[in-house]
Amino acid sequence: MDSKRRSTLLTIGVVIAGYAALRTVPSLLPEKLELQALDSPAGFRKYVAGETSGGFDPFVGLGTADSTEVAAQKAAALQRVSENICSALYGDLSPTPTQVPMASFSDYYCPFCRVQTKRLADMTGEMPDRITVAWHELPLLGDTSNLAAKAALAAKRQNAYVAFHERLMKSPFQATPEYLSRLASDLGVDSDKLVADMQSAAIARELEDSAALARVFAFVGTPALVIGRTVVQGQISDNLVREIIALEREEGWRDVCTAA
Amino acid sequence: MFIQMTVRVSHLGAWPLLFFLGFMGIFLSDAVKAAESESFSNPAVTARLISAEDGIAPDAASVSLGLALEYGEGWKGYWRTPGEVGLAPKLDWAGSTNLKSAELLWPAPERFEAFGIENFGYSGQVVLPIRARLEDAGHPLELRARVSLLTCSTVCVPHDFELSLALPQGVGIDTKSAGQIATYADRVPAVPENSDIRISVTALDTRDSALIVVAKSDTPFGQVDVFPEFGPLVTFGKPDIRLDRDRTELWAQIPINAWTEEHAEPSVTITDTGRAITAPVTLTSEPPAPPFASADPRASVLKVVAVAAIAFLGGLILNVMPCVLPVLSIKLTSVLKATGQTRQMTRNGFLFSALGVLTFVWALAAALVFLQWIGVSVGWGIQFQNPVFVTLMFMVIAVFAANLFGAFEISLPVALQDRLGASGARSGYISDFGTGLLAAILATPCSAPFLGTAITFALAGTRMDVMVIFTALGLGLALPYLVIAARPEWVTRLPRPGRWMLMVRLLLGGLLLATAAWLLFVLVGVAGGRAAAFVSVLTAVFIVAASILRANQWVRRAVLSACAFLAIFGAGLTSTPDRTTPGVDATSQWTDFEPIGIARHVSEGKTVFVDVTADWCLTCKANKSLVLDRDPVRAQLRGGSVVAMQADWTRPNENIARFLERYDRYGIPFNIVFGPGSPSGIALPEILTPQAVLDALDTASVRSVASE
Repeated sequence: MDSKRRSTLLTIGVVIAGYAALRTVPSLLPEKLELQALDSPAGFRKYVAGETSGGFDPFVGLGTADSTEVAAQKAAALQRVSENICSALYGDLSPTPTQVPMASFSDYYCPFCRVQTKRLADMTGEMPDRITVAWHELPLLGDTSNLAAKAALAAKRQNAYVAFHERLMKSPFQATPEYLSRLASDLGVDSDKLVADMQSAAIARELEDSAALARVFAFVGTPALVIGRTVVQGQISDNLVREIIALEREEGWRDVCTAA
Repeated sequence: MFIQMTVRVSHLGAWPLLFFLGFMGIFLSDAVKAAESESFSNPAVTARLISAEDGIAPDAASVSLGLALEYGEGWKGYWRTPGEVGLAPKLDWAGSTNLKSAELLWPAPERFEAFGIENFGYSGQVVLPIRARLEDAGHPLELRARVSLLTCSTVCVPHDFELSLALPQGVGIDTKSAGQIATYADRVPAVPENSDIRISVTALDTRDSALIVVAKSDTPFGQVDVFPEFGPLVTFGKPDIRLDRDRTELWAQIPINAWTEEHAEPSVTITDTGRAITAPVTLTSEPPAPPFASADPRASVLKVVAVAAIAFLGGLILNVMPCVLPVLSIKLTSVLKATGQTRQMTRNGFLFSALGVLTFVWALAAALVFLQWIGVSVGWGIQFQNPVFVTLMFMVIAVFAANLFGAFEISLPVALQDRLGASGARSGYISDFGTGLLAAILATPCSAPFLGTAITFALAGTRMDVMVIFTALGLGLALPYLVIAARPEWVTRLPRPGRWMLMVRLLLGGLLLATAAWLLFVLVGVAGGRAAAFVSVLTAVFIVAASILRANQWVRRAVLSACAFLAIFGAGLTSTPDRTTPGVDATSQWTDFEPIGIARHVSEGKTVFVDVTADWCLTCKANKSLVLDRDPVRAQLRGGSVVAMQADWTRPNENIARFLERYDRYGIPFNIVFGPGSPSGIALPEILTPQAVLDALDTASVRSVASE
């Protein structure tokens, strides 16, 4: 009877310990860099993050159904972007031979996006000779998200993109003129230019392009990151970003751009 | 048969047949279709619309719905106020027919913290109850809900989808959906009138950098959190929450991240173990100083050390408890008897025994960490509100006190004694290990008071705290073995049994008796005097039965088990169920539903107010909190001339169904007033207003000239 009780206890203990180990140990192990080639766009590959991969409908975003006009604009953007994916992704960046370009996609409502922006900015500061970042906004969550995206891109035109994100880290965005002028003075940018840029066709077009890129790469949500020719969806550790950067430098990423 | 029927049809026309077919149609479709929508599903979330009722009952003006969400492992969704970032779920009912309004209710949220960003929402399963009102009472309802919601794990994925649900005319309750809706409706924070939590102060601190909230509660707070809502433009950081010594007063300081003066209808939600409140607040200018120690679950190192020291002492004392002492003494005597063992062998044997003790407490600690990890949290003092727990504690402690005073001896089963005695001789470390393990297992019933304290403290603390405290307890219990392992020759120097042991026993017995008396006092408060008397009588019988020496062993066992069983179940049954918060319940105006008594009350000149309600009925809950449980209606219902009856239809009940049918109602809420002025009753509209209730009570109470 005694041994029976003991073995029952032991079994329960083992089961609990086993389950706990199953839950906690994987997070302690070093992450493995597992890359998978993408069928489309050709030449690109994605970091396989596990559970966040498939299973979602191709991403469209929140909002009502598109009018024909909007649909046509979207189709045009898709066409435009598909013709030269690299230039859409990395835009005005002109990476030196040693630099790996990165494209960061974020949304105002997404908690980790703000963290990612900050981290990438810090990383760029650390190794400016190795990386350079193109900032994209992927406002998928309605009007406020859309306006905040426009403000972020307008700030980008005055070199205050990262500052803008940091400013918004803890405080909500308001779509009022007073707020925008206060924001501009906090960021040390020209308020009139900020507002004018927000309403400009260039920024509207930039957003269209980013949205088209999201469709090309079949992003399911934000944040998203393209490092050279490696696509990353969701949160990722600094170490992995560094590893991917090293890999891209080693293997070269330019092929994919010349090919496309 | 068939011919007969056709003949009848030709006689009476086609109507009965049509009616019959229609009825069958309703019946069949009801049987086939559950009251829920198709589900939208992907790895992040599965969403469905559910309804408590299978159909719209005749004359029903409202229906209880729910948006059932099941988030995938690792995914989160958001509350109505999502926190610093994030987005609340939105429902658009455009395209629905016969829907007048749909009010979304929000169960108490959890706090998520990631990368220093505070978010409020849900994970796992949640049902957002929906209180729907119909345009045309009793007519079918077609729901089309466009749902947009954001889910985040390591990536944020928005979803935009449509759910539809058609509720035909019909009656019946979908018990599963109704149960789910009721469960989560229960978690929706109460309005101030229905909560024993009172928010007394909401103020900005002197530098306008934080919001200070002060609240009081009749019952102690458990795992408490505070969520201020000042509109979408104001965000807050992580609160510093402090409780006073008996955990009934709360002081919270919530840092402000973004502020604006423009905020309509600010409110504060306080969530606690099993209860929550949302109260509108107005800012005052005098912020009270922090009065209490921090209620941060990460207790200070000093506190952990103090509790660990108590646990260690407790473990040590456990050795002289009646259930452990035999194990220890048998183990020690076996060493004295054993010859030919080397010093090293004795030492190792005792080390293994100590390891056995520690293994058991570590297993307990692991189980606790597991419980904590799956989300069980027991607030300090909460378990003392549970009559079964208090009864069990009382019995165990009273019986051990009696044992220490010498009423009877607890002896280990002979087989076990033999085994233990032999284990020393058989040189196997496994059996030494077993001895330790057994000592610890046997100690558990005696150690309930200590373990209870350690467990409640540990459940509120971190995993590290749990391990430290339980290891201390184990070390205390294993100390005798460890001492002998260090100095095997000390075995011979152990004090001989004698008068001193009697003194120790009396002292411990006195302590236990005092504890038992206190527990009985608690039991009177929790379960009432009758239940307490019942439990004490059974405990007395238990002790007497245990102390009669010559009783038949089987009879004795039967009596003992019966006593324990009766006491525990009796305490659960005789006490008031804790479904409603105590304090609120004690002053309730409601009496049980007794349809037969209505006429009698009316003939005595009294006015009878009947409220048919159910846990899953959201409109009923709204009526209750907004009208019935609030003055002036509450005062009227409590007045001597009114008998307020409440019929709970949470589970199907023939009596209530028949009562409803008599007034041509098939759905609830149903409220009706009887009185001298209206012996056949004044049925009230589904959605109550204080004026309608008061008018009906007035009309019913006055014997009109016409009816004389």
